[in-house]
Amino acid sequence: MSSIIELKNICKSFGDTEVLHNIDLSIREGEVVVVIGPSGSGKSTLIRCINCLEMISSGELTVDGIRIPEERGRTRQIRLEVGMVFQQFNLFPHMTALENVAFGPCKARKMNKSKASDIARDLLKKVGLAEFENKLPGQLSGGQQQRVAIARALAVSPKVLLFDEPTSALDPEMIGEVLDVMKSIAKDSGMTMVVVTHEMGFAAQVGDRLIFMDDGRIVEEGKPGEVMKNPESERLKDFLGHVKHH
Amino acid sequence: MGFEFSVITESLPALLAGAKLTWIITILGIIGGMVCGILAGLGRIAGTEALGEEPHGIFKPISVAIRYISGCYVETIRGTPIIVQAMFLYFAFPMLVKAVTDIERFRIEALTAAVITIIFNAGAYIAEIVRGSVISVNKGLLEAGMSLGISRFQLIVHVIGPIAFRRMIPPLGNQFIISLKDTSLFIVIGVGELTRQGQEIMASNFRALEIWLTVAIMYLIMTTVLAMSLRKIERKMKIF
Repeated sequence: MSSIIELKNICKSFGDTEVLHNIDLSIREGEVVVVIGPSGSGKSTLIRCINCLEMISSGELTVDGIRIPEERGRTRQIRLEVGMVFQQFNLFPHMTALENVAFGPCKARKMNKSKASDIARDLLKKVGLAEFENKLPGQLSGGQQQRVAIARALAVSPKVLLFDEPTSALDPEMIGEVLDVMKSIAKDSGMTMVVVTHEMGFAAQVGDRLIFMDDGRIVEEGKPGEVMKNPESERLKDFLGHVKHH
Repeated sequence: MGFEFSVITESLPALLAGAKLTWIITILGIIGGMVCGILAGLGRIAGTEALGEEPHGIFKPISVAIRYISGCYVETIRGTPIIVQAMFLYFAFPMLVKAVTDIERFRIEALTAAVITIIFNAGAYIAEIVRGSVISVNKGLLEAGMSLGISRFQLIVHVIGPIAFRRMIPPLGNQFIISLKDTSLFIVIGVGELTRQGQEIMASNFRALEIWLTVAIMYLIMTTVLAMSLRKIERKMKIF
């Protein structure tokens, strides 16, 4: 299968601090890539670069055939194909769950309102929130909000979904419901997914590839089960120890 | 000389005419001031992260210029007294026009000068209110919208705008009331607004107590109407 995301020698600096050093990464269509690593290792920056929320400082990024930085004017095109789910949900607080989900297709895909609402209703049903369509985000639990956010990202029918620590802001009892939705997306739709997470169980179950980042570099990658069982680098051994025993 | 109620009833028509003028200057002034303030407020944060990603290419110097011009406008207006602004516009500006062009009889009506002064003055303060409210909106919402492939213009109109607007209402209430009361300063350029009318009646009958009490109550009624309309708008908007 061809690769839908291609990073070649990517560097990203904020001011004088370089947070990504010469990253090379290629992601195939339909692949589920899980990115782990200690905080400050550049995981979030990496996926934020993929949909151009952060502009790369050097190197070459190709997403669905669009090349950055050459085609910098086409970042909106990239974002239409690459959805994102955030740690803090970021739902529009003045819109109901249904309006949140329908907003994307309506404005980005220029769909008429009733068609967008139909799509939104279907997606809310899919994430198990059909009866909450008229609630404002403030009236929903964290887990419910994140499921609405996933439905919202799916509504513009992207080819890739990026998840930036989607369960890190949730109470423990709500993590499961969100991971279940993510698992079903990976299994049912064959969506290409890049997931930054600390959920090792999810990584082992759903991930096709596990990437361990530290200090702005990809330190280790491979099949999740193998990488977790036989970590090569000391840093990954150390990291896995911390994740398991906290 | 005790309190004469008849003094009030006699001067009421003239005072009401003044109040009407005060109201007209205020309403035109704050409508224009809102337009001015929204443009300058957004101008001050043009091309910054508060309105989405930083521009590249030709848009970069353009956004810097817009920020600079908006900033100069806000600082100039905030840094000078409104009474000086009104006098400059009414007395000095026509002379300036005469000096740099051939137009001999350029004149600005006192009422026009009053309205324009309120527009520009309120606009500068409203610009800061707009800027503050927009900056206060969670940046993640803009990112979420952009990651759906929605244009920044659409996001400013449908997401940032409504959320920021609700936060603007309390400080806007302040500014509207200040602008209304500032119209009393146009006494210096001879606009027949409420304070001027009160001053003229007082000068002919010396009934300071009755006249200034009535004038004060009329201002209070007008500011209350402004404050209550804003409260009504605030309540109508969804809570978030």
